Order: sequence, then structure tokens, then C-alpha cells
Amino acid sequence: MISLTQISKSFGRHQVLNNIDLTVTKGEVVVILGPSGSGKTTLLRCVNYLEKPSDGEISIGDFKVNCKHARKKEIHQLRQKTAMVFQQYNLFRHKTALENVMEGLLIVKKLPKEEARKRSIALLEKVGLGSKLDAYPSQLSGGQQQRVGIARALALEPEVILFDEPTSALDPELVGEVLAVIRKIAKEGITMIVVTHEMGFARDVANHVVFMDGGVIVEEGTPTEVFNHPREERTKQFLKRITPELNYSI
Amino acid sequence: MGAPFDISYVFTFLPKLLGTLGTTLLIVGCSLLAGIIVGFLVALPRLYKVPVLKTCSEIYISFFRGTPILIQLFLFYYGLPEILKLIQVDMTRTPVLVFVILTYGLHTGAYMSEMIRAAVQAVDKGQVEAAYATGMTGVQAFTRIVLPQALGIAIPVFSNLVIALLKDTSLAFTLGVMEMTGKAQTLGSLTQHFIETYIALALIYLVISFAIEKLLLLAERRLLRHEKRSTAEIRSFKIHKNWSYRRIIAELGPGKGGAGL
Repeated sequence: MISLTQISKSFGRHQVLNNIDLTVTKGEVVVILGPSGSGKTTLLRCVNYLEKPSDGEISIGDFKVNCKHARKKEIHQLRQKTAMVFQQYNLFRHKTALENVMEGLLIVKKLPKEEARKRSIALLEKVGLGSKLDAYPSQLSGGQQQRVGIARALALEPEVILFDEPTSALDPELVGEVLAVIRKIAKEGITMIVVTHEMGFARDVANHVVFMDGGVIVEEGTPTEVFNHPREERTKQFLKRITPELNYSI
Repeated sequence: MGAPFDISYVFTFLPKLLGTLGTTLLIVGCSLLAGIIVGFLVALPRLYKVPVLKTCSEIYISFFRGTPILIQLFLFYYGLPEILKLIQVDMTRTPVLVFVILTYGLHTGAYMSEMIRAAVQAVDKGQVEAAYATGMTGVQAFTRIVLPQALGIAIPVFSNLVIALLKDTSLAFTLGVMEMTGKAQTLGSLTQHFIETYIALALIYLVISFAIEKLLLLAERRLLRHEKRSTAEIRSFKIHKNWSYRRIIAELGPGKGGAGL
């Protein structure tokens, strides 16, 4: 179980996150929605300390980090329990697809090379890239790079995988292949926190939807609750804007 | 002035000058090594914004980049022994070559540190974030992810620095070091065939510079093999109906630029 307690973050005087509480149970897929600037990406980046929260507590299982005085070692441990899939993929540019997945296994998990190789190949096959093992990121399409990114995150066997707008930088026709992979691993019971603008995906895959605006959680609940019966006015407005009726008259 | 021009002297001078090539390369090699080490030490405080050391680095860099190498040579050769005399260190027996390598090493170090800083900063920030997110420590992220990519980015600048250093070593003769230019001076005075010695000398510098350039280009290609070719690759294409071969930059193959219309 992962819980964020009273997480706050400010850049200078600008308060981006304001006392956020969020609990994620094991195997759950949490989707965070919200307009841009609502702090959803910042919140996600706080979970693995790519962004340092100004205040609050992060706990994963029995492991707790108090953000006011977190030590380097604690941050390092926290990061080993999480993995992240980035909007811009951020694959290691000088390494092949296979090496990208193996890197964490060799360096962080300290697995023997053969073992790491075997596991990495299996994972790349799982995301449909068994034929691209030796391709460098620059030789792959955006969708393929993102799937390598997902395999790299899976390889670490983290407690939670954080997805930071995983399809936002993709060409529209490549979004499907990436979402299909995320769907597939969601079914396997891997805990995930996903920031996305893909409403259809959120509705299908999420167990728990969180709507954020202005650095606070406005509303949360099951997809049915949030999408079909939103309680808050702000949620209603947002959903109306982002899912317009598609009956254009020409 | 001097004896009449005679091209055959160029060929007799070449092997004589090549005899001192070793000294020139020794200066280049040692200074380069010193330069890389110093460059790293100086670049790190600036990259990691270490308060006092950062300012020291900046002062060091502005001194060595802002004064002529010839003046630096004189300052070190004549000035350093005077200063060290104050703390009872005798440098009268130290070979000139030590001063020369020290000066060139520190001089190159200033440029190297700027090269390293620029290259490290040119690596995408997302790469470090991905490394941290994977669970690597700061040192692991730097040595395994940032540094290999920075090396590839730095090579074109490095290539320039090595060639500049090679040519700068020609100034070491002013302190009486018998490297190639020094040797050329003596040969010229001896035979009065100055022009021929300088032609031979220029040829040697040219060939070595060319070799260094090509060698480092190969290194760059290897280090950046993961990128789509960014260094313009020259290939020969056969142009239709015309039996001549033209050299065209690869990205502008004959199919592009309207040739197919």
C-alpha cells in the first residue's frame, strides 16, 4: 500500500501542491486527471522524489519518508521501490532497447548478466518488441520507445509504476499500441499511478480516479462515480470541456 | 637574404625535422593528459555549483583564456622559480620541458574544463531523471549515463583543442626547447634555406593535424553510433548521363532537391 500524507510543494511563492492525501492499495490503477497546471505531474514526481516535496510524508509498505528531513539514503531507497514512465520516454540514448531494460537489473538490482538478459528479452517480447532488441532509441518510433520505457519500468519489479502522461508526446496513431500495453499490464495486478488525458483509457482501466485542480484533490472515486455522477462543479466543467459531444454539423 | 630557393632541401629537411617529432608529441601528449585531469577538476565545481571552488575555477579559466600562451610560458619559466625560491625550493636544475608541459597542461586544462562543462550540460536532463527513477545513485547516473553521452558531444571541440595544442607547441622553442619548430630554426640558420625549412615544417604539422582530425572523427562516429548521423557523411554518387562522380552530402542524395521532377 502506498500513501501520501499532507504532501505540499511550492516553487518559490507559488504553491503547486496543497496538503495532498492519497492512498493507493496494492494492485490498484489510479488515474489522476486535471487541467494543466493543476499539479498532477508534480504530485507524481514527488512520489519518487524527482521533485522534492516541501512537506508531508510518503510511505510505501512499511517504508516511510518524512519529506521535511529526508536523507539521501532514504530517497535512494524510495526510488528503488518505484519506477517511472516518462512523457518524453527518456530512454538512455546511447543504449539499445535491450541494454535500456537490462541497465537497472545490472546496476541497481545487481543481477548476473545472463539472468538480466533473459528477463529483459522476455519483457521486450511482452511489449511486442522482440524483434527490436538491438535497435537504438533513435531508430524506434515514439510508440516503440515508450513501450521500451514500459519494459524498463517493469524490469525493476517496483511496488508501483508511475506513468507521467505516457501518450501525450505520441502521434495519434501510435497512442493505441502504448495504451494496449498499459492495459495488459494493468490486468496483471501491477500497482500504477497514471497521469493522462486519455479519458476513454481512464474510464476503462482505472479502479480509482482522482480529479485535481489548483494543487488540491477536488474529487475522487470509482470511474463511474467521477465520470458519470461528478459531485463537484469544477469536475463537471472539466469533463464537459474535455469530452465534447462529437456531433458536429457541417 | 638567405640562399636561393631549392626545393630539394625540403626533402632533406623532412627526416631531420621528424627526428624531433618525438619531443613535440611528448609535449602534446603530457599536456593533454594534464589538461584532461585539470579540466575535470575545474569543471566539477562549476557543474555542481560548489560555492568557493566555483569562483576559483572561474578565475583560473579567465586567466588562461585571457592571456597569450607566450606570456604564460614566460611567466611560468621565469616567474615560478622566483616564487618557489621564497619557500626554499630550488628549480634551477628542473628541465625546461617540465615548465613547458606545466604551462601547456594548465592552458589546455582551462579550455578542457569549458568543453567538459558544455558537453555535460548538453546531455538531456531527462536522461538523469530516468537514471534516478531507475534507482541509480548520483555517481552511477553520471558515469553510466551522462558521461558516455557527453564524450560523444565533446569530441568535435576536443579535436579542435588537440590541434590547437599541437600548433601552440611551436612556441616552446622560445624557451630553447628542441622540438620541431626549434629544430627548423637551427636548420634554417645553419643552411640559410629558411623558406624550405618552413615548408617542410608546415607539411609535417599539416599531416599530423589531418591525421588527428580523421582519427577523432572516427571516435566521434563510434561514440555517437546511437544517433542518426549528425556529422555530414560524404558519399560518392554516380550522376546519371554524366560519367563524373560528384561528392554530395549524404542527406542530400540525388533523389532529393527536385532531381526526380
